[in-house]
Amino acid sequence: MTSAEPRDALEQEIRGLIARAVGVDRAQIDRLPADTPLFGPEVGLTSLAGMTLLALILERYGVDVALEDLNLDALESIAKLSAFVTHHRAD
Amino acid sequence: MIPDDAVVKCVVWDLDDTLWDGIALESPDGTLPTPRPEVLELVDRLSARGVLSSVASRSGPSVLAQLRADGELAGRFFAPQVAWHDKSESLRRIAAELGIGLGSLVLVDDNPYERAEVRAALPEVLTLAPEDAAGLLDLPALDPAGLTEESRGRVARYRDEARRKEAEETFAGSREDFLRWCGMRVRLRTARPADVPRIVELAARTHRLNSSGIQLDTAAVRSMVEAPDWFLPVVELTDRFGTYGMVGTAVVAAADPDAWDVRLLTLSCRVAGRGVSAAFLRWLLERAGAAGAPAVRTPVRIGADNMELRLLLRQFGFRAEQDGSAPLVTFARATDGPLPEAPAWIECEYGAAS
Repeated sequence: MTSAEPRDALEQEIRGLIARAVGVDRAQIDRLPADTPLFGPEVGLTSLAGMTLLALILERYGVDVALEDLNLDALESIAKLSAFVTHHRAD
Repeated sequence: MIPDDAVVKCVVWDLDDTLWDGIALESPDGTLPTPRPEVLELVDRLSARGVLSSVASRSGPSVLAQLRADGELAGRFFAPQVAWHDKSESLRRIAAELGIGLGSLVLVDDNPYERAEVRAALPEVLTLAPEDAAGLLDLPALDPAGLTEESRGRVARYRDEARRKEAEETFAGSREDFLRWCGMRVRLRTARPADVPRIVELAARTHRLNSSGIQLDTAAVRSMVEAPDWFLPVVELTDRFGTYGMVGTAVVAAADPDAWDVRLLTLSCRVAGRGVSAAFLRWLLERAGAAGAPAVRTPVRIGADNMELRLLLRQFGFRAEQDGSAPLVTFARATDGPLPEAPAWIECEYGAAS
């Protein structure tokens, strides 16, 4: 997935969860391309905010990123996280 | 009556007929009754040994307001609960507010019903009648001879932390603005022999930001501090609210020319969310690189309680060297290559003595 592709509904939701976890306005996250690194300066995810984000993902989608992704590669970017949840979520 | 191995971090006092004689709401002039001097003295003696005090009373909100406004009482009691609900619920709230386990609370209450209610709902909580409370001073774990400086200063640090929380809640501005305003200064230096007891204590007490969970032996740490093959850095923190003392440490086997092996990396959860862990890890990677080690590796216990540590390693680009089936998984990264920026609101000092 690249930033040029249209954003699906799940990615929109995940952008909302990222904004909540990091504690910034939703609009600030919406402006960013999908391949923006989560731990980079634009999003500014920290280890503590990461805990909140993983808890929100588990609660909303039943996906335990920590359990299924040893290296936490899913936290690479907005797009990676959306793809991971899409792939692992229970229907 | 009091088990020898009891872990006591906070004593929760009933008010009416425990902290004072009589019932506050029935006081004829509407003021609080005079506290029993022997109870206040016990509160202070426990405080000097690192044990907090709190309040759980079944009474009206006016009593809580009076308690908070009373100069003699407000500073002695942390997270006081005055409400009509069950005392077990008040104890749950105290544990959550102070960030300590329920099993480290003790209820002191003259009313046998209240003690029984708490024992039934929370069997891990020790309950005492007021006349038995002084026995807490005889606990081996609270023997003044065995207390570290950090333990003695614990109550003062909770007081600083309460002021910091209040300031944060009323601060007008972003979280980053608040962190800047706090004026955090982190001092990173090599451990000295005097640091050994606190290093062992940190390893035993921390869980959230603890990599391998290994326990340290005092004699072994003492010899590592002196040995050239080992590197034991420590982190100290101060901010405008006071000093936090040593909040982090690591045990690094530095003899292997291929990689520094960080056997343990740990930080106190009191500093979580303030960027101290990132400043520490960044410095550790820089030190390893400067010492000529091409890589840093660290064994990590895979569990829910230290998830935050894994997130920190992820932020710094560490990768697992094996799959996740073992209880300890080694994570590693090269010392060259870009590192995340240090948090802009932290001023770091290196090597200076405390």
